[in-house]
Amino acid sequence: MNHIESTSDAVPQVHMLGRVMRRLKPMVLGAAGTVFLASCASNAPQDTWVPKGPNAQKIDSLQKPVFAVAGIIGVIVAVVVTYSVIKFRDRGQPIPKQSHGNPALEITLTIIPALILAVVGVFTFRTVFDLNKTSDTQMIINVTGQQWWWEYDYPANNEYGITQPIITSGQLVIPVGTKVMLRQTSRDVIHSYWIPALNGKRDAVPGRITINRLEADEPGIYAGQCTEFCGLSHANMRMEAVALSKEDFAKWVSNQLKTYAAPAENTLAKEGETVFLNQCTRCHQVNGLTRADGTPVIAAPDENVWSGAAPNLSHLMSRNTFAGAMFNLVTPECRTDVWKSESLTFGAKYLAGVDEPCLNQTDLRGWLRNAPAMKPMYANPALLAATGGKYRGMPNLGLSESDIEKLVAYLLTLK
Amino acid sequence: MAIIERPVSLEVQPLIVVAPATPSSAMGAVKRPVVTKGWRQWVFTVDHKKLGLMYMATAMFFFLVGGIEAVLIRLQLALPDGKILNADLYNQMFTMHATTMVFLFVMPMAAGFANYFIPLQIGARDVAFPRINAFGFWALLFGGLFINLSWFLGGAADGGWFMYAPNSGPIFSPSHGVDFWTFGLQIAGIASLTGAINLIVTVLNMRAPGMKLMRMPIFTWMILVVQFLLAFAVPVITVALFLLSFQRNFGATFFDVAAGADPLLWQHLFWIFGHPEVYILILPSFGIISEVLPVFSRKPLFGYPFVVFSGAAIGFVGWGVWAHHMFASGLGPVSVAVFSISTMAIAVPTGVKIVNWTLTLWGGKLWFTTAMKFSIGLIVLFTIGGLSGVTHAVAPSDTQQTDTYYIVAHFHYVLFGGAVLGLFSGFYYWWPKMFGKMLNEKLGTWNFWFMVVGMNLTFGPMHILGLQGQPRRMYQWTENRAGEGFFNLGFWNLIASIGSLVLVVGVFLFLVNIYITARNGKVAPLDPWGARSLEWMTSNPPKEHNFDSIPTVHHLDEFFHRKYAEDANGQMQQVATAEQVLKQLEDNADAHIHMPSPSYWPIILAFGLPVTCLGLIYSIPLAIFGGLIILMGTFGWALEPSTAPDSDFDPPSSGDTSKDVVHVG
Repeated sequence: MNHIESTSDAVPQVHMLGRVMRRLKPMVLGAAGTVFLASCASNAPQDTWVPKGPNAQKIDSLQKPVFAVAGIIGVIVAVVVTYSVIKFRDRGQPIPKQSHGNPALEITLTIIPALILAVVGVFTFRTVFDLNKTSDTQMIINVTGQQWWWEYDYPANNEYGITQPIITSGQLVIPVGTKVMLRQTSRDVIHSYWIPALNGKRDAVPGRITINRLEADEPGIYAGQCTEFCGLSHANMRMEAVALSKEDFAKWVSNQLKTYAAPAENTLAKEGETVFLNQCTRCHQVNGLTRADGTPVIAAPDENVWSGAAPNLSHLMSRNTFAGAMFNLVTPECRTDVWKSESLTFGAKYLAGVDEPCLNQTDLRGWLRNAPAMKPMYANPALLAATGGKYRGMPNLGLSESDIEKLVAYLLTLK
Repeated sequence: MAIIERPVSLEVQPLIVVAPATPSSAMGAVKRPVVTKGWRQWVFTVDHKKLGLMYMATAMFFFLVGGIEAVLIRLQLALPDGKILNADLYNQMFTMHATTMVFLFVMPMAAGFANYFIPLQIGARDVAFPRINAFGFWALLFGGLFINLSWFLGGAADGGWFMYAPNSGPIFSPSHGVDFWTFGLQIAGIASLTGAINLIVTVLNMRAPGMKLMRMPIFTWMILVVQFLLAFAVPVITVALFLLSFQRNFGATFFDVAAGADPLLWQHLFWIFGHPEVYILILPSFGIISEVLPVFSRKPLFGYPFVVFSGAAIGFVGWGVWAHHMFASGLGPVSVAVFSISTMAIAVPTGVKIVNWTLTLWGGKLWFTTAMKFSIGLIVLFTIGGLSGVTHAVAPSDTQQTDTYYIVAHFHYVLFGGAVLGLFSGFYYWWPKMFGKMLNEKLGTWNFWFMVVGMNLTFGPMHILGLQGQPRRMYQWTENRAGEGFFNLGFWNLIASIGSLVLVVGVFLFLVNIYITARNGKVAPLDPWGARSLEWMTSNPPKEHNFDSIPTVHHLDEFFHRKYAEDANGQMQQVATAEQVLKQLEDNADAHIHMPSPSYWPIILAFGLPVTCLGLIYSIPLAIFGGLIILMGTFGWALEPSTAPDSDFDPPSSGDTSKDVVHVG
């Protein structure tokens, strides 16, 4: 008897729910439509719903249906609640039967979400292991975070013509259609490497090496941002991944390996080299730079900066950004020209580098004049007791305007 | 009123009580306080209701502080390259906003409700350890003030509420902010631990006769689960905070990578605490709305045992999901997959609750009071937060979402749409119980709509911001990364900031409502809502001893079943009014009701804690002095008499002593 009672009790309720769900159909489709629409719009450069490579694509294919299911369930709950609120409001009806529930219905409504989640779980499981596969890696780049910029170190790799290691910063350059493995670590606090169009994020943890994988389908620039809170200028620790066709990548590599060409004598740039030698080489390396007596200059950032590193400025003008990708090295017009170019012409434009008309003089000069005023950093010598006087970030060098003039001329030669 | 002596009726044989051998004063000098008027009745009280109100007032204060911090954050982010705060101040602001809202608003507010209503709901006259209860409150207050003291002493903590190592170390956070934060939380943690033990013992031992565990009000159940979570979670954060304090103050190297430490240790410790903490924050509100929905639906909670067991299940599974906060940290695929699945699993018992609340409404006779509106708001808004939670239980998807505004949207829907709306539901529902006056319902409706619209305007756009790739904890955002079109970051950041101001209006209306109600609110009827549980079976506000006679419980929803019974046709009919039920209890009043005496020692002992911590930061002699205060407090506490001697009380007629005679009949 009990059994029969409980079923008959359940039927009208389930039936009503079913009716509500049928009425819901257009709304559900509407919700799904919104989800679809949102996925089409490519708005902010860090949009997480516009995959541009297989890793991000795998994530996207997994998450879109989850969003859709979640959206549908959300709408169902909202509608059932709204329906109850309208239908069962106090119209003077008698006090309802004091029923303590309906276990059969309850168990059903527990099992259904459990089953949905089980299905989601299976696909999640598969994707997690899929994304963590490393056996088919084609290229390795070491990525090191520090406050507040990223260093990219390309180990020698004959297949890509990297005959000796390349060290760069500001922009990660990779060949398209290549499974790139980033071996990440940090020199100070935890940072996180994230290029949304290419993959999810992965932390760079000091004392550990974490593995991240990127692969881009098409040439282009893909924006990213440090996503693990890393102190004062966390907001300004950005990254850009530049994907070049294989031929263009080979050109980029050969440019990075080009030997140092000192500026011609009696030019402003040559005077700038002297300023650079006096002021900048304490921290910043330019490969191949020699002193007047011919000895090679080896920067010693470890003596001046807590993280022990400063961006290597060799071939600075081959990059579009500086200061941890906070500022553009190119003017807004030139930047738009590169960012918005078709993938066929992108490579050539990017490889052209930065020349004088395109140089963002305002920000670069501002930076040379007083870096900590442009980007919050721990660079006030009075406040560095804890680090024994070492800076976190770049200090104000107190350069004269003529020094800045010379330095800019010199930096422009670092093609 | 510490002791109530009633004229003994002739039938009752007085029990022969052997007086325990306690001294009449602590340390030969300090007796127990007896005054029940003025500030001393608050400062030395051990009454769970007074302490509950003090917890709530403190939490409300910190809610406003945290709210101001939130508004500053939103003003800074309203436009690109915000200039209202600098980077340093912004980092302090979001750290303290989260710390304040989690540790100093939601937790103490829930503790306030628990303190006030647990003894009432289980038919007890106070908690098991009244002095520890008082100590817990003072420790919480001093801990909260201590953390905020840092604003005036060189800057607050700036490492985020999660305070990840090594960024929290002395090198990377050279101000004393993090020290104030660790020590302050340590003090607040002591409050949580003592409170947890106290309430567990109270619930397990002091229920009225007949109140089996499965007849306990659901709020009491949820609070019980929360206390177990606290009792096991707080020790973990205590350890983590000690490690951090020793690293910062005494040269230890627990998180110093150069010395071989692994910074992920902090993350594991923090989240093993931090995830159960999420349930510590939300379950009290689940409990509150599980009380409110049945009352205003005029039917019992749908599937009471399912709600109880799903709450308990959350309490267990909640321990196995912490690493979902670390999906991006490089744990390796096996850990990630396992924690991904366990996180999905915890969605099931949470979903059960949504189903039960919805089906409680189904077929009811709904009365849309403000309390009811807040509860229904919780069902819908918490569901949104729960579902976005499922989208990042999917670990690969989470690697795109974590540390973006999508997460900020998620947990604000859970914590504001869930925890805060639940607490507001509780305010409106229990205000007449606590103060004997009804909050203005009309103003309450405005309050509700401003808060709901405000929170959706504030946190709704954050879903878009996050999915468009705006990371959290950025003191500025830049046009360069904002994009164009409908989903551009500029528009939605501005909407979120405007929404926060709407939210401010909502909270302000609540404060206005409190003020108006205090000035000239309607005196509440004995049972304004047609309530179902024991806390309504006493006067408004309750007498100090809660119940004249302890009721014997025969049903879940005992109060309802004393008022209503099924007639021959199976229809519920009123058989007694609340006044009649209360009269019956009063008529059978207990002859001897001994309430605990107030005490000086809880506040003294608690005061020693911040003094010690201040000393640990600035000067060891001060710490030793603080230690002496603690030592004195402990001895005074241990040695004081269990009650004040009769001779300390003024004659009953004067009315301002702790001894009173209740005149019955």
